[in-house]
Amino acid sequence: MAVLTAGRREGGGPPALSRNRETPLAIKRRRLFWPFVAPSLAFLALFYIGPLLFGIWTSFHRWDGFSAMEWNGLGSYRALIDDPFFRTSMLNTFKILVFVGLAVFVLAFALTMVLREMAGKKFVRAVIFFPHIVNAMVFGVLAGFLFNPGGLVNSALSAMGVQDPPKWLGSDNIFPLIMATMVCTSTGFYVAIIMAAVDNIPTYLYEDAELAGAGAFRKFWHITLPLSWDVVTVCAVLWTISSVKVFELVLVFGGTFTTNGPPIETWTSALYIYRNAFAGSDIPQFGVVCAAGITSLVLVAVFTVVLRRLMRRDPVEY
Amino acid sequence: MTPMTPATADPATPPAHVPQPGQAAPRRSRAERARVSPVRTVGIGLIWLFVALSLGLLVWMLLTSLRDSRAIFAEPWSLPDPFKLSNYTTAFDSGFGRAAFNSVLVSGSAALVSVVLAAPAAYALSRRLNRLAGPLTMLFVLGLGVPGQVLLIPVFFMLTEVDLVDSLPGLFLVYVGIAMPFTVFLLTGFFRGLPGELEEAAALDGASPARTFWQIVLPLARSGLITAFILQLINNWNETLFALSLMQSNDNFTLPLVLARFIGEQQYKGADWGGMFAGLCLIVAPMLIMYGWLSRRIITGMTLGIGK
Repeated sequence: MAVLTAGRREGGGPPALSRNRETPLAIKRRRLFWPFVAPSLAFLALFYIGPLLFGIWTSFHRWDGFSAMEWNGLGSYRALIDDPFFRTSMLNTFKILVFVGLAVFVLAFALTMVLREMAGKKFVRAVIFFPHIVNAMVFGVLAGFLFNPGGLVNSALSAMGVQDPPKWLGSDNIFPLIMATMVCTSTGFYVAIIMAAVDNIPTYLYEDAELAGAGAFRKFWHITLPLSWDVVTVCAVLWTISSVKVFELVLVFGGTFTTNGPPIETWTSALYIYRNAFAGSDIPQFGVVCAAGITSLVLVAVFTVVLRRLMRRDPVEY
Repeated sequence: MTPMTPATADPATPPAHVPQPGQAAPRRSRAERARVSPVRTVGIGLIWLFVALSLGLLVWMLLTSLRDSRAIFAEPWSLPDPFKLSNYTTAFDSGFGRAAFNSVLVSGSAALVSVVLAAPAAYALSRRLNRLAGPLTMLFVLGLGVPGQVLLIPVFFMLTEVDLVDSLPGLFLVYVGIAMPFTVFLLTGFFRGLPGELEEAAALDGASPARTFWQIVLPLARSGLITAFILQLINNWNETLFALSLMQSNDNFTLPLVLARFIGEQQYKGADWGGMFAGLCLIVAPMLIMYGWLSRRIITGMTLGIGK
């Protein structure tokens, strides 16, 4: 073991000293590092690091994509704050992050608790997980078919005697409907993650708690939640990232697609950027659009840091 | 909610579920509790209802794509009679065929190349062959947190410089690039779980480290590599934001783009729900088939690395 782990252990000591202790094999192995890592590192640099730096740089400039860049300082960010479309987009993204997130988590835990001892739980998990690997455009179109004025939901409602159904896809209801769709399609993924964590909790803990007379809620509160807390923290971070990326569902929600993009009351961060850079009719201001991108990245970073801070607990041994 | 009451109801003739010596008492009493708790019963009922509705919606979508467009709205619930493939021919005429080919080509090749590039990197990082391994792993993980829209405009201008906007090779490169953080992250976790003893044995037998990787480690890691490939295939198949922004000519469209355009055409042509459902099915069906075959691998691949 010492032969192969020599390269792993060193770290603190001065390089010359540790190199002396290395066997020829370990040195050979270490020579593999850069040839092995370089290709994917190059792609990371080309498609993440470079674009990020370029995005930050552009966000401080005025640029139409053709002429030379012009220093603009924080002008782009000020323009964003004054842009009502941007405010709506960010507010919507924020709503998805917080409200849909809370609903998904409460539901995911409730489902996990019920599924824990249920027959056929693997099957249920497989079914509710499936939307995670389907392009969300599909749900947008299906929602359009179900909820349009002559659609299935309204015909079912009128059969039940409801004469005046709400305008589901009207400007007041469309965004809540989008959020509800998202809750339905996203919960399964988190159920699968939390279920894997809950399955690792030894059953004797639950049996002891039952002997002590604990009900379902107290078992959840005193056993399940503390023992799966790490996974919950990771899920919260994952949700933060994926909620900022929401795009496909909104793009075609209700079964409509226009070059001008969907109605403004449904815009999200990704949609704002796509619409202002590629789909609009006016001259794109790439400085402002890049600033919007950086803002969404900052939102992810801040939420991730705050969530990790707030949710930090001492690990529970079991 | 009151699990103790039946046990104390009649002490003379104890009900069957009272723990007897030598029986698997906790398991039985738990099953009993599951039966009596009304909240739980309602929960189970709701779960099955939701599962049934989801499956129903899926089956209904597949069946409806085989029906006449006008009939769909008149009688949304009836079965296709007779089965009609005309929606699919309409769909193919409006570019879905070409787009399906493009989607398969770009998603498949990009998934393959991203795994080929990420596997050695993940191995070198997992075995900590360099003191920079830790920080570099962290760099890849940080990439997981970057939303696509942040990279969109810089990547667009970068590809414009090399004349790769609106070209499938350009989209291929983008998909390989944006796949790196997740693939490296997934495979690093996977390689860490592989024991080092076999590598030592190979080294003692005189195999060079590169040969050890190629002949010993990679075959052992086959399952992880396949999972990584499939997950990237799924991501690329569904990717819409970059494709929509980078592709301009119809010949280069992938399935999501043709679906979006098809939806857009409905606005002035009148809704052709049949064709639309055929388009939806073309996007969903390959995922469904793959999922039916590999659901366990897909679910654990997407969730397991996360719990650690």
